[in-house]
Amino acid sequence: MEEKNTRTYGNHIVQYSPDYSFCAGCTSCEVVCTLTRDGLVSPCHNRIFVDRDNRSMIHTVFACQQCADHPCYVACPKKDEAMKIDENNIVYIVEEACIGCSLCAKACVFTPTRINMVKSADKAKRKAKKCDLCRTRPEGPACVEWCPVRCIGLSDKSTATPLPKEVK
Amino acid sequence: MENKLYGYVGKIARINLSEQTVESIPTSRYVPKYIGGRSVCNKIFWDEVRPGTKAFDPENKLIYMTGPTTATGIPTGGRTVFTGISPNSWPEQYTWSGIGGWFGAELKFAGYDGFILEGKAEEPTYLYIEDDKINFLPAAPLWGMLVHPAQKKLEEIHGKGVKSIVIGPAGENLMRNATITTSNDNVAAKGGFGAVLGSKNLKAITIRGTGAVYPADIKKLFELRKKMGEPYMRPSPVIREEIHGMDQNTIPVEGGWLRGQVACSHGCNQHCCRLMMNMKSAFSDERINQVEKCVGIFAYGFQQDCSWTPIMSFETEQNHFLPCKMLSMEMPEIDMSDPYMPQLFEKVPGDTVNYWKPDFDKGSVMMDMCNEYGIDKWDVIVWFMTWLSMAKKEGLLDDLDFGMEVDVENEEFVRYFLDMITYRKGKYGPIFAEGMARAIRTLGKEKFGDTIYKGRFSQVIPGKRLDIPVSLETAWGHSYHWQGRGFEGSIPKAGWIATSLELMTSTRDCQTVEHHHQKFEEYLQFREDPCHSPVLVEGVIMNQNKAELKDSVTSCEWQSPDLFWPEMEAEAFTAATGIPMTEGELDEAAERSRLLFRAILMRNFGRDRDMEVNAVFPTMQYPDPWGETVTWEDWNDLVDLYYEKRGWDIRTGWPTRKTFERFGLKEVADELESAGKLPVPVVQPDNVTKIDKMRN
Repeated sequence: MEEKNTRTYGNHIVQYSPDYSFCAGCTSCEVVCTLTRDGLVSPCHNRIFVDRDNRSMIHTVFACQQCADHPCYVACPKKDEAMKIDENNIVYIVEEACIGCSLCAKACVFTPTRINMVKSADKAKRKAKKCDLCRTRPEGPACVEWCPVRCIGLSDKSTATPLPKEVK
Repeated sequence: MENKLYGYVGKIARINLSEQTVESIPTSRYVPKYIGGRSVCNKIFWDEVRPGTKAFDPENKLIYMTGPTTATGIPTGGRTVFTGISPNSWPEQYTWSGIGGWFGAELKFAGYDGFILEGKAEEPTYLYIEDDKINFLPAAPLWGMLVHPAQKKLEEIHGKGVKSIVIGPAGENLMRNATITTSNDNVAAKGGFGAVLGSKNLKAITIRGTGAVYPADIKKLFELRKKMGEPYMRPSPVIREEIHGMDQNTIPVEGGWLRGQVACSHGCNQHCCRLMMNMKSAFSDERINQVEKCVGIFAYGFQQDCSWTPIMSFETEQNHFLPCKMLSMEMPEIDMSDPYMPQLFEKVPGDTVNYWKPDFDKGSVMMDMCNEYGIDKWDVIVWFMTWLSMAKKEGLLDDLDFGMEVDVENEEFVRYFLDMITYRKGKYGPIFAEGMARAIRTLGKEKFGDTIYKGRFSQVIPGKRLDIPVSLETAWGHSYHWQGRGFEGSIPKAGWIATSLELMTSTRDCQTVEHHHQKFEEYLQFREDPCHSPVLVEGVIMNQNKAELKDSVTSCEWQSPDLFWPEMEAEAFTAATGIPMTEGELDEAAERSRLLFRAILMRNFGRDRDMEVNAVFPTMQYPDPWGETVTWEDWNDLVDLYYEKRGWDIRTGWPTRKTFERFGLKEVADELESAGKLPVPVVQPDNVTKIDKMRN
């Protein structure tokens, strides 16, 4: 995992151990994310990512870890307008105000970055996409609700569960 | 917003490899009349490929299409299709081959619904598609590579996240059953289209798309996600299995083996493929994970053929489920209140065949070689290896010097043989690289194809020896599949009559996409006399039309047909495109697509009644597990019924002008008439059709 030991995180999406449920690699989480939030399907809009290992077929799911010190928010030139922090300390994006500068994505401490960027020749359409746990959705994160094998959920700790050595 | 295109992304790329040019064709030229997928491919092929073209000619076009549901999030929409002249069909004919994976979705994100590959590149080439820009690049760094290393190399060159299809050495060397393979080992296999790519000097196509696909009705789409395939929605852990296989093929595995379930295509809510973990590799000491579908199980051990239960083909509303759930062992609980329950689940054991003893590592090596060389596993497991086993036992190989003793139970021989045919080594490599149908004819069909294997024994009538030829060939250069003998042969006569009729009017083993499904109550109506049953004929037509839709809308073999939700495909189409479509209208579109397929076969490949009856009939003269065959008279009665129901002339098997025009294909009828291939309809003297008589 890329997270630095000194960092602390808020509640975030985690991938469960394959002993509990094995990611089928279906990318339903990515698809449902963009359908729910954007009304479309696109690899540039999803806020959750399935890092597919096409040789081993053991896939890693990752999304924003909801860093407590939110470096993405710090880097945003339009903070409190395009990027805000809610009452649960979740950083969320107000897309109408986002200028698509991608500084937030670059400021993300993880590799690859947990913030997606919409690519478009039209600068006005370039927007940042970041997981905010579907903060206004009564049912909670859509990806968790619609994962066909229940291999993702919300953390009760601040670190993701690593895959057991045996299936790496 | 009113101009936004839903489902489709709007253009098809015509890619000329000889000239290195790209032309953009509006998808609207073909849809919604031709739906998408295979149906659009049929129209393009009909319009563009002339009679006389051979599979490896630059004039052969390999057409690839997604469907309107691809990349919309509608389950199974990730399935896509290739069509073209198949080098693996005997004789060469137009066919199709479905493929899953993430490639089709990425193509749509790049802005294309499909592409037409034409011509031939001067040098080994691959295509890199980055959104709407299509680049022709030298394939020197990739040529000769195995499938997975080629996939990996493309990621190294173009970055992680690109989606690629590649051919392996089998495709490069024009092995006629070569596959086109995605990164997750999904393959377009049955057509041998890997060899067509090889003939065009095209090693791979890799894509990075950054655009979007817009489904029209997201609320409905989520309803479909909840309903289609009754998604598992429960944890699916990695499981340690202690044994592998079933029945006489069971192998105890020391220390067990790990099984996971993985999805085959973009955004699907199912996980039909079995992932076998920590398996032996053919190419390195490092253990590998392998994706397995149903036929792969027999690579590990093949002493008994697959057993059959009626629920696999004939269903009730109380008891029906996706067949893939049998592989993932996620079948729903049996509804015991179903009055047909005991019959539905009565297991018919497969024949004892004794092809090879279980060997876990050898099976793994065989699978890995097929994956990496890019060879159709089906042909290897069900045909090449069974032939070697049977031919050796019957003493047919004594005079053939392969350079190594034939022994299909020896891992080294399996490696040697697959290597020999992939790289066309020695005297026999080039012969078998032509595929079994052609190899058998080169060697002499009477001896090497038709000699009876004396090792097949029925388990339905214990101890009864059943004749089967050493070459499990059925029709069109393919091997038996759910046809009462050969592989998956324990389906009773009413079942194999239906599947054989489906095969007769096809150009390949069609049971991978036209797997026969019908209601159990209907089965009870025709099981005693299947050849004179309009109910069976209607079931065959339903399955064929649904197969057309699976590859057009798109959906998949595991999902469709749902006999108790026949509107499913229409609902998916409308949710994706916003275009209102009833089940009846979609069935008409399927019929239109099927007619175009028929017209292509007639015009380009001389298809008529004599050709197809004679192709399929001889293979039904070997006994099924009950010792049953079909008579010439009964089979032809059935063919009459089928043609009549389709609106085809019963003498020639050619659709009539009236039928073509009924489905909006007047121009097709005109062209066929010019070619002398439009029948003059003959009215029955009493104006009562055969099918009416049967019904009465």
